[in-house]
Amino acid sequence: MVTLEELQARITRLDDIKQIEKLQRIYGYYLDYSEYQKVVDLFSENVESVEIADYGVYKGKKGVKRFYLELLGGKPPRVGELSIGMIMQGVVDVDPNGKTAKGRWYCMMIEAKPTLSLHEGELRQLWGNGVYENEYVKENGKWLFKKVFFFLNFRTPYEDGWLKVPVVGQNGPSAEVPPDAPPTFYHPYPAGVHLQPHYKHPITGK
Amino acid sequence: MNLEELEKQVTLMEDIQEIENLQRIYAYYFDLQRWQDIVDLFSDHAESVEIVDHGVFKGKEGVKKMYWDWIGQGGKSFREPWIQFVILQIGGVIDVSPDGKTASGRWQTWLCEAKPFGAYPRQEWLHGYYENKYVKENGKWLFSKLHWNNTFCSPFEDGWIKTPLMGLMNFHPTIKPDAPPTAFHPYPSGYHLPYHYKHPITEK
Repeated sequence: MVTLEELQARITRLDDIKQIEKLQRIYGYYLDYSEYQKVVDLFSENVESVEIADYGVYKGKKGVKRFYLELLGGKPPRVGELSIGMIMQGVVDVDPNGKTAKGRWYCMMIEAKPTLSLHEGELRQLWGNGVYENEYVKENGKWLFKKVFFFLNFRTPYEDGWLKVPVVGQNGPSAEVPPDAPPTFYHPYPAGVHLQPHYKHPITGK
Repeated sequence: MNLEELEKQVTLMEDIQEIENLQRIYAYYFDLQRWQDIVDLFSDHAESVEIVDHGVFKGKEGVKKMYWDWIGQGGKSFREPWIQFVILQIGGVIDVSPDGKTASGRWQTWLCEAKPFGAYPRQEWLHGYYENKYVKENGKWLFSKLHWNNTFCSPFEDGWIKTPLMGLMNFHPTIKPDAPPTAFHPYPSGYHLPYHYKHPITEK
């Protein structure tokens, strides 16, 4: 017969997964609305880094603030700018200690943005796709981001599609708010280089 | 932790799972055009349903008007095989109230539709956010309020930047809403549909 403590540990693990899923989705909704201070507040004070596509690596909480508040939030959003990220299909694994966790997610993006490769004035409508491999940490009973890593697969003009134009424009590295390190894994379609998952095969354990 | 507290935690997790299922089942019924089945997912004490620019329909009567009478054309509509509503339910954030009897949920949708629009058949992409409310009655979760706020409804051929909105759907010759739309501000207005939840860390 299972003990109360064992049952509690199992329930806590299930609850942790639910909380992490919620954190990740709330992060997405804040990003949709360019609410960068709220995004920053979802990160632990001891955060490792944030790295999105080709922007490069921003380290520590200071780096997180520089990335979201200064770089992404540095200019007021233009009329018509659209940045919808649909974060789906989470695979969340809580470490045995119950204090840290990892999660892999798909993101489909619906955007309207100016792209650096074009003249500044024009907004373009874009489809985007990529994969998150994130890390989480539980502090004072609440789950926070410990690391955010986003692998960009494609970001293509609506009119063209990923086969014709895999990536339109370039994001980084920024000269005004430079990253702490260059991108570690920027290989969009059709490089054929895939971001491996954090988890082992659930059956074979490999 | 005692058995009672454990049971409370398990119930909360089951509640969230059942609400997620309810929301997804709703979308599959929409896709299948089973309008009566959708009406039956709502509590008899439902507050309201509001979809895009149709306006606010109050009470269970209003729910029937919206889904059965208007969208479902009173059961008279012949389902043309080419008509399609694919409604992806993405990113549920569910919060159950402390008493376990009511809940709120935010979702987003990405739709890939084909339907008659005005004079001829159209294929379109849509996006939007839900802020819904749920109620538990006799051990089962039901909708008490559904609000779907549309970001864009764009022809496949154009996309959201060229044609954010194909057209309005806010007129029916006989069916009238109980109140006008509360938050119909499609792209590129920059409108933000408020969240039901507070920031999970700062609690602001």
